[in-house]
Amino acid sequence: MFKCLFKLVSTLMICTLLLSACWSSREIEEQSVYVGMALDIANKSERDKQLEAQGGITEVDSLITATLQIVPIKSVKGNQPKEEGGVKKYLNDSETGDSIFEILRKYALKRDRAVIGHHMKVFIISTELLEKIDISTLSDFILRDNDLRPSCMVFLARSKAADALETNQPDEIPAFYIRNMTLNKYRNNEILDGVILTNLDQYIESKQSFILQNIASYQGESEFAGAGIIKGATGKWIGNLTQEDVSSISWVRGEGKGGLLKAVNDNNKIIIYEIKSLKTKIIPKVDGDRMTFQVNINSEGRLIENWDNRVDVSKIDVQTRMEELFEERLATMIQNLMNKLQKEFKVEVAGFGERLKITHPKVWQKVKKDWDEVFSDADVNVTIKLKITDYGSSAE
Amino acid sequence: MFTRTDDKITTTQASIFISSSVLGAGILTLPRSVVSAAKTPDVWLSILISGIIVILMAIVMAKLSQKFPDKTIFQYASNIAGKPLAFIISTLLLVYFIMIAGFELRVLAEVTMFFLLEGTPIWAIIIPFIWLSGYLLFGGINAIARLLQIIFPISVLVLIITYLLSLKIFDINQLRPFLGEGLLPVIHGLKSTVLIFSGFEITMFLIGHMQHPEQAIKAVVTGLGIPACIYLFTLIFVIGGLSVDAVLRSTWPTIDLLRSFEISGLFFERLEFPFLVIWTMQMFSNFTCYYYGASLGISQLIKVNIGPVILGLMPFIYLSAMIPQRSNDIFAVGDFIGWSSTVLFMIIPLPLYLIWLIRSKGLKQHV
Repeated sequence: MFKCLFKLVSTLMICTLLLSACWSSREIEEQSVYVGMALDIANKSERDKQLEAQGGITEVDSLITATLQIVPIKSVKGNQPKEEGGVKKYLNDSETGDSIFEILRKYALKRDRAVIGHHMKVFIISTELLEKIDISTLSDFILRDNDLRPSCMVFLARSKAADALETNQPDEIPAFYIRNMTLNKYRNNEILDGVILTNLDQYIESKQSFILQNIASYQGESEFAGAGIIKGATGKWIGNLTQEDVSSISWVRGEGKGGLLKAVNDNNKIIIYEIKSLKTKIIPKVDGDRMTFQVNINSEGRLIENWDNRVDVSKIDVQTRMEELFEERLATMIQNLMNKLQKEFKVEVAGFGERLKITHPKVWQKVKKDWDEVFSDADVNVTIKLKITDYGSSAE
Repeated sequence: MFTRTDDKITTTQASIFISSSVLGAGILTLPRSVVSAAKTPDVWLSILISGIIVILMAIVMAKLSQKFPDKTIFQYASNIAGKPLAFIISTLLLVYFIMIAGFELRVLAEVTMFFLLEGTPIWAIIIPFIWLSGYLLFGGINAIARLLQIIFPISVLVLIITYLLSLKIFDINQLRPFLGEGLLPVIHGLKSTVLIFSGFEITMFLIGHMQHPEQAIKAVVTGLGIPACIYLFTLIFVIGGLSVDAVLRSTWPTIDLLRSFEISGLFFERLEFPFLVIWTMQMFSNFTCYYYGASLGISQLIKVNIGPVILGLMPFIYLSAMIPQRSNDIFAVGDFIGWSSTVLFMIIPLPLYLIWLIRSKGLKQHV
């Protein structure tokens, strides 16, 4: 009897030891979740100078200002009486330092709740900073840490990156907002496919040039504004592409599942083509040292807007003329893009390399080291076939 | 169902036993080790070829075991090669089993600490697993086989579901060009793909426990065919989802694949957590296979009861898990285990089989 009881009690005691709780559990209510991070060139504020004078800041040459977008727990808790509109659902907090991890840990010195990164959604770097420091250095910690998921998206900011994390719309959290904007690609081909940290890993490892979506912001309003080019060899930002260039890249890559093409007709009036389907094929040809790329763009679409009420869009010859105009317009756009890529920046970011890698793997092995230069000397021929299949619900 | 008291398992159980001994922590690092050896997306071909090689190796082991029904390698080795040689062979195999058990346990602990239980001390993860596994071993091979039979379908199902959901970021162009650099990289990849099958040596003691040893070949082929398919899918999905370049920069590529996308609307938004929790069970079964192999071997070698051996092995397994200091050491141990797997095959079943052939067929001896 005693033996039995002893067994029972000791089992229960071991159970309480093992099952009582999670070893290192921390209540979610006691954490600060950050959902976005923006990196800028450090600008010592008055506050920093004051604190430094009192020994509050590590005395090194501060380089980077990191801004975290923290979602305060109060807004999540619910059940509290809602205050009037205009209450911000987020808090942006900046810290300055020369190591990102050090900066992150500095938050422990000034906030009662530890910041955790499990839910980081966007990572924004200002082009100004990326001109000085290369992207693999800046993103090293982000790619290494175990809290941050690689599904986080990367953007560039043309002004201060921290401004992109501001909004004047109540009830919005800019980090989520920006991330969701990339989903609008089916409406506008000036939006690039969202680049996640995994893609960034790939670009850094392959040392090829690439582009990242730019965010322009002014007084709490942000929008996608073209793209910034990052040179593969140096990992630094070298210039911007306009919205039109980004749209051309979408055409060349065959990615624009939605989107439009604007042209003017013979009477100098605006006509708009809405893409319904798009098929692009890049055919590389290698002849000795000479490299030629044949780009075939085939698209069907709808005449969606016509400012010229003198023409009858239901007539076939009018449609054919419009197709020609659209084709010319697109050819000019792509020509502009190629001028920029091959002459101005001498980089290749439009997917020609990926194509060459698949069709001519042996050649690619030879040229991949200085692909940007090789591409600058290559010929690109574009053949465009646009077809207006219908003109919407008004025949006029 | 009824509880069996004899130490026999069915053919299906034997297949699952072999599959479980192969499928473990290796799947988490497999894409990186293979891709860094070959540097092309064609490595999935290497897996196919090495799968066939490994199955052939295992068939030799099974054939050998079939000649001695109801006996394990630790027992029949002396029949073939004589006592002193058999002792050396068995000891090598035992050291190998203890090493691989420690390694699997350590990787399990490392992954759990990095992604799931940050802050939990490593001994608090490893020791309960050893205890639990030891408790299971007291039940004998039947209890183990039953448990594996329960865990295996669950973990494979969850694995396949998570892979299918990763189709969201799958890009077939990442797997192209096909054979762009010829067959040479595929051959290079073979080195590391053969290594990830290490552990199938348990075949040499498992066949002796089979109810129908005549079906041993079938058990071995399905038992290794399943992991080969799973590895093939792993490579295709991870490279297709992450690209060769990103795989090279990732410590745990398979987990990074699951971390690269979010599923909204499902109960789980982040699949790495359910996957890791389930795969922990698989790593546990994997570890149990070797722990059992080591205990069985020692008890048969020095002819003692298995009970004290199980208990006595616990500290050694713990030590074997804790010896590597840095993560580089752990990966080095992993590579070493892979190599010893190949070497062990070269010096144990193959010569034994040849000696047996010579003695029974050539010299007409009764072995």
